[in-house]
Amino acid sequence: MEKYKVKFIPDNLTVSVEKDKTILAAAISAGIYINSNCGGDGICGRCKVMVQHGQVNSQPNGIITAQERKENIYLACLTTVHSDLDVLIPDSSRINFDKLTPEELEERLSGLYSKAEDVLTVKPKFDDKVFKHSPFATKIYLELPAPTLNDSISDLERLYRALRKFGEFPVIETGLFNIRQLGELLRDYDWKVTVTLGRRDEIVEIVLIEPGDTTGRNFGLCFDIGTTTISGQLVNLNSKKILGTKAAYNQQAAFGSDVITRIVYAAKSDGLEKLHNAVSDTMNQIIKDLVSAHKVDLNNVNCIVCSGNTTMVHLFLNMDPSHIRRQPYVPTANFIPVLRAAEAGININPRGLLNCVPGVSSYVGGDTTAGILSSGIYQKEDPCILIDIGTNGEIVLGNRDFLVACAASAGPAFEGIDLLSEMLKAGIIDRAGKIKAQGKRIRSTDNGKEFVICFKEEIQAQADIVINEADIENLKRSKGAIYSACSILVKHLNLEFTDIHKIFIAGGFGTYLDIEKAIGIGLLPDLPRSKFIFIGNSSLAGAREVLLSSQAKSMADALALKITYFELSVNPGYMEEYSQALFFPHTDLTKFPTVRF
Amino acid sequence: METQLVLEKWPGVISAVSIGALKDEGGSRSSVVKIGGQTTMPLLFKDGNIPHKPKIAFEIWDIAPLDFDEELTSAYGKAINDPFTWAEICVKDYKAELLCLKMQGTHPDFGDKTPQEAAKFVSTLLNRFKTPLIIIGSGDDAKDNLIMPACSEAAKGERCLIGCAVQENYKTLVASALADGHNIIAESPIDINIAKQLNILISDMGFNLERIVVNPTIGALGYGLEYAYSIMERARLAALSGDKTLASPFICFVGQEAWRTKEAKANPQQGIMWETLTAASLIQSGADLLVMRHPKAVEKVKNHIETLFKK
Repeated sequence: MEKYKVKFIPDNLTVSVEKDKTILAAAISAGIYINSNCGGDGICGRCKVMVQHGQVNSQPNGIITAQERKENIYLACLTTVHSDLDVLIPDSSRINFDKLTPEELEERLSGLYSKAEDVLTVKPKFDDKVFKHSPFATKIYLELPAPTLNDSISDLERLYRALRKFGEFPVIETGLFNIRQLGELLRDYDWKVTVTLGRRDEIVEIVLIEPGDTTGRNFGLCFDIGTTTISGQLVNLNSKKILGTKAAYNQQAAFGSDVITRIVYAAKSDGLEKLHNAVSDTMNQIIKDLVSAHKVDLNNVNCIVCSGNTTMVHLFLNMDPSHIRRQPYVPTANFIPVLRAAEAGININPRGLLNCVPGVSSYVGGDTTAGILSSGIYQKEDPCILIDIGTNGEIVLGNRDFLVACAASAGPAFEGIDLLSEMLKAGIIDRAGKIKAQGKRIRSTDNGKEFVICFKEEIQAQADIVINEADIENLKRSKGAIYSACSILVKHLNLEFTDIHKIFIAGGFGTYLDIEKAIGIGLLPDLPRSKFIFIGNSSLAGAREVLLSSQAKSMADALALKITYFELSVNPGYMEEYSQALFFPHTDLTKFPTVRF
Repeated sequence: METQLVLEKWPGVISAVSIGALKDEGGSRSSVVKIGGQTTMPLLFKDGNIPHKPKIAFEIWDIAPLDFDEELTSAYGKAINDPFTWAEICVKDYKAELLCLKMQGTHPDFGDKTPQEAAKFVSTLLNRFKTPLIIIGSGDDAKDNLIMPACSEAAKGERCLIGCAVQENYKTLVASALADGHNIIAESPIDINIAKQLNILISDMGFNLERIVVNPTIGALGYGLEYAYSIMERARLAALSGDKTLASPFICFVGQEAWRTKEAKANPQQGIMWETLTAASLIQSGADLLVMRHPKAVEKVKNHIETLFKK
């Protein structure tokens, strides 16, 4: 096979690729991430690049204009390499994972995913049922009596005997790796060792045996694997203290912006592998940053708990997700047994354990289970709603007696809520989301009208900042999906919105969401504002609880079995509800009595 | 023993819309056509008040029709080639109470008449005939936005019914109707939610809800009539239950839908019956205004209405 050198500018990175590979594939192999919302299908038009030198072969498409063709601009996903190339990737086509400094990224994401401390402070006090502190990995320091003729049980049984003084461990398992080194280790270090115990439900496993007392150094990680953002926390398992939180964009974004595009991508050759690597790379980078910032030895990180939607967990574990997308929408697994983190490509202690919070169905995943756990709605007497507003929205309605969950895919569109609300108020758009005002900030384009928020001169930017009718339509559909899903769930259980005790808003936009505006555009039901509680990243908080308490883990397992999945798409009333919600705030204005424009 | 009728009383009332303005009202029409105003479901005379019968408008075009069936064309003879003679036959021979003028000749593909030409046509028609008038555009949004304000202005004060406003394109038409004192047709694609949303959007512009006539979009007999039927019925139930944003009378473009069917084209008599039966069914679901094409079908439907409303 012929190979060509492709040089990317201005990165000045050169990769060698086979003939007929796409420029997009070449860029990914060079570690440069180009926007590709559609996953390389030539639909989204976000991956424009300029070929400055060399021969390419490009499939015709309706996205590149004649002018752009003259300037040798191509879609990276539809253009293949036919000679050595120099390719310029403009900023507008990049996913800027690294463009922001860590501090800037932290700041941007801190709003999206509130810090754990914040979550804790706003977390409502329920029955104060606190889970007992019994972390996923526990370190126990043992000083064993040396064997004598009268006490001549084996080294391993001696270890077990000592361990059982610390708790009821019906079954203790040890890997051959540890047994092999046991005899020498005990004798070399005067029978003084620290044992790291990992929990696999009823079974405890001796993960690691170290010389001396290392009990002070016992750390774990919890992760929320989101479609758009991945966030992780480093936790001191002894003190329960959160040492640090870090978030980064999921590098899978290079293969599509929503789960469906990624499932489709996973079916391509090496697709699953690439998606898996993208998520584990993102996580390993977060882990690396966290441990170095807090001066923790990677070997003292003994366990990790992840929660994510079902597709993300499949991709993370390199499991085929293709049936999630196909009727009857069955995942490979909802409950994943405790694994070794290394099996999933996660770099912590090589023998460290990995647990994934169990999911409910293809479209209600472990992140929802974790959210229910951390919000505590499963303990409430009156029905509550938990809305996880993210790329994949999930809604749970329930209390201590029942839990019903549904998925309402919202898409990455909620950044515009404030803007939209103000545009409605100012009369720039009508209730259907069409731009009705006129003036120098309103322009007509091929994609409908657009409103210029900032001219580039006003902010010294390279381009004007605009919102167009298609963007508004997206947001209208997203808010319609969330509202109508809530509405259908409430109706399905023969309740009214007024019966709802509290509405917990989790995830994505949590802390930045202005309740008044969210109700004003019809995203959230028009209820007394005191009923709404922001709980930040409830998925991460739930994963942390599972990390810190085996009771919480058992509860999460029980919850995942208890949740009833409600499929909206087969509900005959859903389309009706949805189309009613495609209006600001709603077609039935009586449902929003306090909203005035 | 006499059977007791179960009567239903509704809190809502359908808007009463008057089309055409007399001299003392600032217009020059010889009559006014009134529709709507009912307080009950269709034809349930005992339940409430039904002040006006359903009305029929003759559809005419500003150019010789291009795709009319032979049977339709022959009903008017050569007259159909001249819009004014065509209108004259409708008014003189068939006693049309209402004319529905479709400005098809302004469509970029069918003549592309200028706004000035369109306005001139409308004022000539209004001068020659004193029948109340419905004016609708050619359906090309961009062009309608140019010609409808001109037509509206030419008919200023005549209290016409002008249309069709759609969700993607309603502002120009509403502004014109507001300025020139017309009623407006709000068209939605067999969708009760969009019908309601559009009414809200129009009233958000300061237009009186009670001057909107809803075109729910219909299908002819065998071509989705039942969808239109149930949408109209649901809208009416909501309106009578008190939803003011849905309390508009209905206009149904029966002729254009019925004569599109292959059954109508296959056999002339069948075409007339297709139009008649489509209209008769829609009267049952609450149509207030029927826009029709064939004079024989109009005659049959008129007789049918008289029978239905015989006290």
